[in-house]
Amino acid sequence: MAGKVSLFLAVSALLFWSFQGSEFSPGQFWRGIPQLFHFFGRMTPPDWSVWDVLLTSAVETLQTTIAGTFLGALFAYPLGVLAASNWTPIWVHLPIKAFMAFVRSIPLLLLALLFVSAVGLGPFPGVLALAVHSVGVLGRFVAEEIEATDPKPLLALQGTGASSLQIIQHGLIPQVLPQMVAHLAIRFEMNLRDSTILGLVGAGGLGFYVFLYVKQFQWQKSGVLVLAIIALVFAGEFAAWQVRKRLI
Amino acid sequence: MSKELVIQIENARVEMEGRTILSVEHFEVSRGERVAIIGNSGSGKTTLMRMLKGYVPCKEGKVVVMGDVFPITDPKKMKTHHRHIGMIHQHFDLIGRETVWQNVYHGRLGYVSLLKSVFGVCSERDLQICAQAIHEVHLEDKQRRFARTLSGGEQQRVAIARALAQEPTILLADEPVSSLDPALAEDIMDLLVSVCDAYDLTLMMSLHLPELARKYADRILAMKNGKIMWDGSSDSLSNDRICEIYEFMGTNGVVNGNGTRASRSAFTWPYGWQGQPLPGG
Repeated sequence: MAGKVSLFLAVSALLFWSFQGSEFSPGQFWRGIPQLFHFFGRMTPPDWSVWDVLLTSAVETLQTTIAGTFLGALFAYPLGVLAASNWTPIWVHLPIKAFMAFVRSIPLLLLALLFVSAVGLGPFPGVLALAVHSVGVLGRFVAEEIEATDPKPLLALQGTGASSLQIIQHGLIPQVLPQMVAHLAIRFEMNLRDSTILGLVGAGGLGFYVFLYVKQFQWQKSGVLVLAIIALVFAGEFAAWQVRKRLI
Repeated sequence: MSKELVIQIENARVEMEGRTILSVEHFEVSRGERVAIIGNSGSGKTTLMRMLKGYVPCKEGKVVVMGDVFPITDPKKMKTHHRHIGMIHQHFDLIGRETVWQNVYHGRLGYVSLLKSVFGVCSERDLQICAQAIHEVHLEDKQRRFARTLSGGEQQRVAIARALAQEPTILLADEPVSSLDPALAEDIMDLLVSVCDAYDLTLMMSLHLPELARKYADRILAMKNGKIMWDGSSDSLSNDRICEIYEFMGTNGVVNGNGTRASRSAFTWPYGWQGQPLPGG
């Protein structure tokens, strides 16, 4: 009982501390609601004269996502296998896991900023940022999926006289392949979402023009691009959902 | 019937974490015998099979299986040893996302070189053996289905076909029907016994129900605490004798959910036991 009370007090104190520190103010939000509508109001009616910018930048965002996800997966899958603790010795999987955790801890926008300063403006630094980020996230899922694989069918395969590589080919890969593809689909969806805002730091795509038009107070043009982002993310989510539905 | 010995064990002992979990003084099986092992969970049934398969090393003593003297250290020899002994598991242990045919083909992997299996090259002989094995278990019409879409009984038939594709001499069945309902269990046991007759295989199986052991084996082995407590023909195993063995082995108290031993009155005998005919059997 005393433990529950002190836990309640501790959580309450934590929440109070957080809300207080973050200047939480319901009144201010209430007064700001008209401003919100005003903001969206300025975006309407959408100015469709920018459809050519929309088309090229949406395609660029898609291309960035596909290239970045592919590049990330290319490294994530082998690294993920090496990071599975039940397949490799500790001096192999621990450093790889640590590396992937380190990569994951860097915010994507910071990665993008880093690569923009290294290779210049445009979609290319976006590709690199997405790839590095994907290695961290996807590699971890690959490792966890392999670690969670039921070892008994693999042992049964060993019992038929199959060699280790045959066990991987006929036992491990068929068991984990659907999850691997499903994770790739989710990663693609997330990367598509992320790549729409990579433009904020100059790494190309739709986000770059949203930011550009907002800075120029061309609200109606930026509104069109915001709509395009929503549509693109929605389409990506739908595609990933379709892939997963067929696999699992 | 030939009296060729396929399994010989003298004073073998298996240890796990410093504890002896199996200790067999003397045990022999000749070719073509059908041996059932009964006993409680943890009595060493599975350990005995795993030892014969070469999964767990025996600490001391003499173990000879098919002329191979344990321990087998040469990986090539181990592979041959694995091929000689087909094993069937309680939970089938198939690759669920591969087809029935592929799962049966896994039984051939021990004969196929890595390069050939990577590129999916099957010899005419491999194809023939797989087809024959699938025919034996009557799954021709389902061989393109994914294994996980099959019912439990069908999956166990696939597992039997996989073991047959190995062209084994000995078939080990670890609780082959424990996760199947009683009627299906009899079907699988019938099949298991008939393929063993057809291919002149030596069958060793662990079974939960003494009734099944008596019906399908010609020799019964009772185990407790890693030791063989009784070894004799199934005919000589009367109901009273089973009762005596199980009493002796201490099943008259089960561990209930709280981890404490339930009283004898709270215990119910396993389904199908005590001379009652099995449903459908």
